[in-house]
Amino acid sequence: MKDVYIFAIESSCDETSCSIVKNGKEEIATVVLSQIDIHKDFGGVVPEIASRHHVKNITMVIEECLTKANMTMEEMDAIAVTYGPGLIGSLLVGVEAAKTLAYLYQKPLIPVHHISGHIYANNLKEELQFPLIALVVSGGHTELVYMKDHYSFEKIGGTLDDAVGECYDKVARIIDVPYPGGPTIDKWAQLGEDTYPLPLPLNDNSYNFSFSGLKSAVINLVHNEKQRNHPIRKKDLATSFQNTVVNIISKKTMKALKEYQVKNLIIAGGVAANQGIRETLTSLCKEENIHCSVPDKQYCTDNAAMIAASGYYAYRLGRVGTLDLNPKSSIILK
Amino acid sequence: MTILYIDTTTNYLYSAISINNQITGEIKAKLDKDLSVFTLPKIKEMLEANQIAPKDVDKILVVNGPGSFTGVRIGVTIAKTYAWSLKKKISTVSSLKAMALSAKNKDAYKVPFIDARRGYGYAAIYDEENKAVLKEQYMSIEALKCALEHLPGSYTIVTNTPIEGLENNCEEYDPNFAKIVEYCKDSVELNPHAVNPNYLKLTEAEEKQKEELI
Repeated sequence: MKDVYIFAIESSCDETSCSIVKNGKEEIATVVLSQIDIHKDFGGVVPEIASRHHVKNITMVIEECLTKANMTMEEMDAIAVTYGPGLIGSLLVGVEAAKTLAYLYQKPLIPVHHISGHIYANNLKEELQFPLIALVVSGGHTELVYMKDHYSFEKIGGTLDDAVGECYDKVARIIDVPYPGGPTIDKWAQLGEDTYPLPLPLNDNSYNFSFSGLKSAVINLVHNEKQRNHPIRKKDLATSFQNTVVNIISKKTMKALKEYQVKNLIIAGGVAANQGIRETLTSLCKEENIHCSVPDKQYCTDNAAMIAASGYYAYRLGRVGTLDLNPKSSIILK
Repeated sequence: MTILYIDTTTNYLYSAISINNQITGEIKAKLDKDLSVFTLPKIKEMLEANQIAPKDVDKILVVNGPGSFTGVRIGVTIAKTYAWSLKKKISTVSSLKAMALSAKNKDAYKVPFIDARRGYGYAAIYDEENKAVLKEQYMSIEALKCALEHLPGSYTIVTNTPIEGLENNCEEYDPNFAKIVEYCKDSVELNPHAVNPNYLKLTEAEEKQKEELI
């Protein structure tokens, strides 16, 4: 069969990224231009600033990707692009650029759902095995997705309020860890002791998550300790917080695997880089003889390689978009 | 010389094709929220109706602001991606300059105005030689009214959103593509990577940060 090359653009948040992936699994070249240093000063991503940087950088990132791959746009079979969910102004730049490329080079335009990209990031390491359960954890998402086959997505649960990564960043802010604090909390959690009692959030029979209560519990705890002039043992608090999060996530994930009789788990999204979540689920899966796959770190955070990987399967299934494609800040995965 | 003109800085799509100084195709469409949906399909349609393939365009003239932040980015992204991809020339023109050039009234001063809500807008004042006597800026409508009161001659406001109290001085913006393209014939050609929106305004987050520093 002829090799298929997908050129992809991802700009849903604060990373401008382009990638070329061969046959949905072999990364040829990826460029990720992160704006993290810019947004750090503001304590989080400022949507308008992110959009401004995307438009400034987009053609440079496209060019660098082609140069790195030593390929031309003519050699591509299709142009894939993240069309949501994400920051609307940021998405818009990637979508307009992708539409323009598709028109100029007369290539099929493949709209890709950002979450499907996170799931397909695993395909760059080893081919997805079905049926599977995907746990998508990032700054904007916390979802459990059941997949019978390629592009058959069934969301079985998700967060009712804050995403898990968002909760990490907010807790970090409470104890004065600079943005993005999630990775620091993860690091500290390995060093501290679980001494602070925190409530297990939404511990019910559903596959839904709720982290806002846990966040409030941390705020109250820090506040009360401060009033009593007790110093906060930050590393211990990080451990207690992380244990609580990992506990509820792994509990619901393992339950889903059992109930759906699935032998493959995929962990995806920026928070998949979290050591606590990674290690706990990997070892729980080992006990249950379940195959657990986590993408390499560089594919956990937002990148276009995962969009190209997902785009390949969408292309094979004929899921081609038109030039009136419009980005959307929230869309259902289907 | 085939020039493609693109302006998405307001809630309208204004686009045209100029072949050897003749306007052969044009779009004046109020797209509002659908600007991001239909801009590219409509440009494609216009080019096809004129039997122009993407590669036949020699130069892109894009309006890079000021105006709606999102709107400006739509046109600029399409234009710079187009110019970079097919190695075409690219120049920019100010939305306010394009509006002033299109004025039909013969008043001494042309005052392009783009509403930015909450009593503010983007405006400039040009004299008969198209020289800016008030350079383009983000300003309150009150401040603009004050500047207009002190003009030594008659003026016409070119706008899609007439200013309250000055309706009689307002003329609806109807782009004169031939005039704009002609005016820009010697504009500086830019590297597509360097083509950027001219917002004329910092983001709110940056403004707040600046205030805190002072």
